[in-house]
Amino acid sequence: MNDALFSQLSTLGASLVLLFGIALLWRRSLHSYVVAFQWQSTVLSLLFIVVGYFGNDHDLYVVAVVLFALKVLIIPRYLQRLQARIGIEREVLPYVNVATSLIIAGLLVLLAYAIMRPVVSISALPTRAGLPLAIGLIFVGLFVVITRKKALTQVVGFLVLENGIALLAVLGTYGIPLIVELGVFLDVLMGFLVMQVFVYQIKTTFDSMDVDRLSQLKG
Amino acid sequence: MNFILLLAPSLFAALLAFVVRPYRAFVGWVNALLSLVSLGAALQFAGQAIAEYEAPTFGPSEMFRADSLSALLMVCVTAVATLTLFLSPGLTAESPYNPRQLRRYHYAINLFIAAMLAAVAANNVGIMWIAMEATTIFSAFIIPLTLTPASVEASWKYMLISSVGIALAFTGTVLGYFDFVTLSGRAENALNWPVLLATAPSLHPEVMRLAFVFILIGYGTKAGIAPMHTWKPDAYGEAPATLGALMSSALFAVAMYAIIRWKVVADAALNHGFTDTLMLALGLFSLAIAAFSLVIQRNYKRMLAYSSIEHTGLICCGLALGPLGAFAAMLHLVNHTAAKSTMFFLAGNIERKYGSPLIENVRGLIKIMPWTGALFAATLLMLIGLPPGGIFISEFALFRAGFRLDHPWLMGLALALLTIVFISFVSHLNKMLYGAPNENVAKGEVSAWQIAPLFLSLALLVTLGLIQPAPLTTLLNQIVAIVARP
Repeated sequence: MNDALFSQLSTLGASLVLLFGIALLWRRSLHSYVVAFQWQSTVLSLLFIVVGYFGNDHDLYVVAVVLFALKVLIIPRYLQRLQARIGIEREVLPYVNVATSLIIAGLLVLLAYAIMRPVVSISALPTRAGLPLAIGLIFVGLFVVITRKKALTQVVGFLVLENGIALLAVLGTYGIPLIVELGVFLDVLMGFLVMQVFVYQIKTTFDSMDVDRLSQLKG
Repeated sequence: MNFILLLAPSLFAALLAFVVRPYRAFVGWVNALLSLVSLGAALQFAGQAIAEYEAPTFGPSEMFRADSLSALLMVCVTAVATLTLFLSPGLTAESPYNPRQLRRYHYAINLFIAAMLAAVAANNVGIMWIAMEATTIFSAFIIPLTLTPASVEASWKYMLISSVGIALAFTGTVLGYFDFVTLSGRAENALNWPVLLATAPSLHPEVMRLAFVFILIGYGTKAGIAPMHTWKPDAYGEAPATLGALMSSALFAVAMYAIIRWKVVADAALNHGFTDTLMLALGLFSLAIAAFSLVIQRNYKRMLAYSSIEHTGLICCGLALGPLGAFAAMLHLVNHTAAKSTMFFLAGNIERKYGSPLIENVRGLIKIMPWTGALFAATLLMLIGLPPGGIFISEFALFRAGFRLDHPWLMGLALALLTIVFISFVSHLNKMLYGAPNENVAKGEVSAWQIAPLFLSLALLVTLGLIQPAPLTTLLNQIVAIVARP
């Protein structure tokens, strides 16, 4: 009974996390990107609590709190502030249009199911149904990083990819050892801070956030 | 204790550089002297390994560990770091950077060194990953030391590509841990490498295969294995030459180290075929990309970056060629570390003198800077595999291992590609050394201090080409016993 509920909750959570990742593909403004990322991280931290409760691992509560503070409160606030500083720029024309992006996202999730089939088949965890969704989210995040033109939206794509890995870890292993998890958060925070400095530098040096302009170095 | 002596000096140096503002020359000198402590600790580890002590561990749940493989990498990293810190801008009065830039350079480069050392000292593969990611962050921070469009572009591409790559390596790490947990339950020390290796034979091959592909792509991005190499020429071309020296020799070696650690685990779970095929394929592809990009290269720092990709390819191939190949690959790693770092320091001198990184703007090098020119030519010729350099020996050993294993066609292809590399390097070198010297460039070296220490690395390179020191051979044999179980 408990296992069935756990299994359903975790699959629901994983699906929602993936859905917020795919939402990046049809939204245009940076603001909506940040909101989608915030919701995704909220659901992800709830999922950590659910797994912590059913899986009986109290370390995960700590991870959930840190994740919430970092990815729902701190990073989105920095993103908004950065956006205010460099002005609103829309992701006008990504390299791939919305309809095609959505189809590709669907294919990526299918691919994730295909490559994760042996992994799911050896696992007896109640959470195993969500594993392909986590890999799917990693692929979608990768796709966002590759196809977006604004430096700032690329950063959000990278953060979504990170969420995909956290999802994989929590569903597949009920969380990696706490000390590693905390180190990863520290890296995410520092990496994000350096990236936002670079976004500002790209804006001031090139007078635009378009990574299109970053095309001097060749050969 | 030794671990503290290894890691603390660079952390303390970073702290010192951070708090002293504005930058003062004594900070640079203190940092350089501190790096000698790390070097001593690394040599101590190597000595312990050679004397066949039990690999020392340190920290809660044995977080750090130093076996022969770690010890060799520690020596490589600290040696290049010491050289870098002594040759860094800011130690002498004249410097191309302002105090603000020098402060940032000094604290970030020491953190970068600390992160590399933590990565090779880590026993827990999760901690190793964290340290690898930190190396990206700190090194990306110094590439745009002088803000130009090109340096901003290079650092952005480096940061983004490496971060994404390393994230994929983490996915692989999580998959490996998942497999472990499925088999034997959760354990705090499951990510410790010896524990992982002991369980490896019973891990599921399907999962391990997937995990290794993620890890090879991920850490391969950091090592610059083609086709994940695209950030490399940009970053090396735009970074300050001293950072380029550290990244091309030490950081590259550390990334290869991460791949080696996982390859051993994957081999134990899968038998050799799978990882060897992948590494051989990617290695030859890297060689091919490097060879053809070198032909058309116009920028000598980017030329060195493609040479790095070439050597990455060679080392990947060597690791896939059994015990003999592994021996050759590790020896090649040591030789490459000595040769490539020297090349970058010299390239830095040349760039400061001529004010341009383009080959076409550098003429008559041998007349304008006789010492730098001669050293540049000598090291470059050894880098492409001429005797009496150590690289000649390691490449020879590598090809012999390949022919032994009945890969004549693959080795023939690799040799053909190396010939292309050879010819294009000699032709580029010719253009730079000779010709009418540029008229607006004054004759004379940048400073004697910038050259004298480099004779040490040249001497080391020649020594490694003429004899194989017994301690090094012992260490390499121990490493082969770790990485290539027959």
